Amino acid sequence: MTSTATAGSPPDNAIAPDEQREPWWRRALRARELGLLVVVAAIIVVLGLVTDNFVTVDNLVVMARQAALVVIIALGMTFVIATGGIDLSVGSVVALTSVATGYWVISADLPFAVAIPLAVATGLACGLVNGALILLTRVPPFIITLGMLGIARGVALGLTSGSTKTGFGAPFLALGQGSWLGIPIPVWVALVLAVLAHLVLTRTVLGRHVYFVGSNEPAAQLSGIRVDRVKLFVYAVAGTMAALSSLLETARLSVAQPSAGVGYELTAIGAVVIGGASLFGGSGSILGTVLGGTLLTLITNGLIALQVSAYWQQAVQGLVIIAAVTLNEWRSRRSPG
Amino acid sequence: MTGTEEQAAVPLVRMTGISKSYPGVRALAEVDLTVRAGEVLALVGENGAGKSTLLKVLGGVVSPDAGQVEIAGEPVRLAGPRDSQRHGIAVIHQELTLAPDLSVAENVMVGREPRTRAGLVDRSAMASATRSALAELGVQVDPWTPVGRLSLARQQMVEVARALAQRARLIIMDEPTSALTEDEVDRLLATVRRLRDNGVAVVYVSHRMREIFEVADRITVMRDGQVTGVLPAAQTDPDDLVTRMVGREIDRLFGEHGRAGVGEVVLEVRGLRAGPRVRDVSFQVRAGEVVGMAGLVGSGRTETAKAVFGAEPITAGEVRLRGRPVRFRHPGLAIRAGLAYLSEDRKLTGLFLDQPVRSNIAVTVPRQVASRGWFQPRRERRLAERFRAALRIVCPGVDARVGGLSGGNQQKVALAKWLATEPAVLLLDEPTRGVDIGAKAEIYRIIRGLAAEGVGIVLISSELTEVLGMSDRIVVLCEGRTAGELAADEATEEGVVALATGVRARPADAAGEARS
Repeated sequence: MTSTATAGSPPDNAIAPDEQREPWWRRALRARELGLLVVVAAIIVVLGLVTDNFVTVDNLVVMARQAALVVIIALGMTFVIATGGIDLSVGSVVALTSVATGYWVISADLPFAVAIPLAVATGLACGLVNGALILLTRVPPFIITLGMLGIARGVALGLTSGSTKTGFGAPFLALGQGSWLGIPIPVWVALVLAVLAHLVLTRTVLGRHVYFVGSNEPAAQLSGIRVDRVKLFVYAVAGTMAALSSLLETARLSVAQPSAGVGYELTAIGAVVIGGASLFGGSGSILGTVLGGTLLTLITNGLIALQVSAYWQQAVQGLVIIAAVTLNEWRSRRSPG
Repeated sequence: MTGTEEQAAVPLVRMTGISKSYPGVRALAEVDLTVRAGEVLALVGENGAGKSTLLKVLGGVVSPDAGQVEIAGEPVRLAGPRDSQRHGIAVIHQELTLAPDLSVAENVMVGREPRTRAGLVDRSAMASATRSALAELGVQVDPWTPVGRLSLARQQMVEVARALAQRARLIIMDEPTSALTEDEVDRLLATVRRLRDNGVAVVYVSHRMREIFEVADRITVMRDGQVTGVLPAAQTDPDDLVTRMVGREIDRLFGEHGRAGVGEVVLEVRGLRAGPRVRDVSFQVRAGEVVGMAGLVGSGRTETAKAVFGAEPITAGEVRLRGRPVRFRHPGLAIRAGLAYLSEDRKLTGLFLDQPVRSNIAVTVPRQVASRGWFQPRRERRLAERFRAALRIVCPGVDARVGGLSGGNQQKVALAKWLATEPAVLLLDEPTRGVDIGAKAEIYRIIRGLAAEGVGIVLISSELTEVLGMSDRIVVLCEGRTAGELAADEATEEGVVALATGVRARPADAAGEARS
């Protein structure tokens, strides 16, 4: 219930200067990401206190490396989910890219400057196909990308007959295993991509159109937004991010394998929704996604540190996703528009 | 004044001292409401006056901070919609709540499906129960038709039938006619009377005076969360009601006509054909002119506007914008060329309800709020504040979500996003639907102001008084064709209706002249 708009109400043009812009720290306190940050910090502190092998430099570096790979895929997923779509194919795109990377780097022995763009282009192509099919067929993204989940993995398996490939040279392996200034390369990559993604989503016209499309597609269309282009763009981003993550992971594990990336789509979706995005579209932030991906990685590692059987990890992750999204729902219901 | 009646029978519903506050707003302040069996009580007031909250209390959706509800003399607790249903209260919302893919019978009997002895749904019993509920309303529909295939008016009847099948003693209708044609409105009003004669109590919420006075026995007026009057309909008139609603007199609702048609032709449409609904539409709009577009629902008005705007493909005909032939493949191109289209349903196709006011206003003008492709929040804020002041949009701030604003203010935001594009031609599709009378007057004033600035305006509306009051010229569509054109001074309600219903055909003379 809001106030009425009677013609007799006083003109509402008296705007106090402080109403124009909230101070940054107050906005930060109100942000839903803050709660997530507190949870992440709390987990690190608690695990640091109860175990003695969790908060060590080595373990933190290992975790950061893992988190980076999850986060990169989740960045792309944030774009898709913000439009109200979903991309179930990213895990399979990781596999296909891994296989393609193995072929171009090892078998074809192409120079990096050619092989790596080709690998990224593989993911980009998958994303573009997803987007184009969604636009042309008007079939829901869930179905199209479910199909791509099968196709990309099937092609990866078919081309390799299920075999893995090893024999990458040291320069390539450094992508996944190396460090710079003591911080793993994948973390640097994830950081750069996250900043880039944040800028695109919040500071470019195209990025903002992503939210409009997710918020109300027919209204976006009538407001002059090229909805088709926006959709093509987000699926292309999702495919590209999956490919980049795949490159880093292939280098980290020193092996190109068609079985890579199984279930990554669910982890990525989990990270995005923990980060506060709604699957109905129109919301989602990069900071939230980064924290969501970090949280999921922390939990997996924390369970290992607590010597919980690895078989229980998925169950706990599932619980965390439900709990996080439920909390978000409560928060947003308590603070109306 | 109605003391004897009240002693004669215990009222069906008696609400006393109902209060409800939200952070920062007192939605209801000790409101009393009485509804008797077999009467139609009209509940009127501006959007935000507290009608919806009060009805939500009855519907069990909102629990009041204080106050009591009695039904047939018994105090009751309405903790959820189920409680209300159990007490015989049915609410028919503005937005229908039917499942479009399911049949009429399934919708009517939902939750109370008759069973056969084997425990399966008894389809024939369902059909006959549905038929009898519909017959009570004087409607004939095959019970197995999917609801989505029915017209909006018929769907509404299905909702009423569902209420009857639930043995509702009180039916609340929240702006039931906002999407209906005049014809359908008459039929709905007849249904309301029939319900009343069968002893059902009806609470009827509407902004439309004609309906209120045609159907209501008593009228309860609300303003700012309080009841400002309970009157027998026979003892009041529209002016009195409006005064009680807004707390002052609204005179000259539609404002002064401008210098009609002095500008040159800015938009010219000839022989337009688009989709199944637009067959042969011709009209023209001059700078500074308000051209009303009347017609029945389904006559192709919305589709015409959308086709001109590039939102629906044109199959034949010509559109000229400022003399230049145009055919837009996409609304974005139309916007750049100086066209704007305010869509008819702000919630479905107009606004981004979960986004802030500022983004909703700036969405149409990404270039104005960006510099070299980079979005500039300050510019967006400045733009939004400008329109917030100019259109007197009442909101906590431009960061507030549009979904939280009242209908009138939402509509102003929807309008602002088109004014931001500084259009040469503005196509307005039902610009005052679901908007209270105060906001209506403001929107009319805004339209007048735009016309005075030389904007060519097409006003599509199902409210005849609005079309007649606002337009310099009226184009009437009938079944996808221009049925005729009337000048403001020669137009009457009867004349428009006659053209719209095809009773009287008249060549589109103005368009014909333009062609020669």
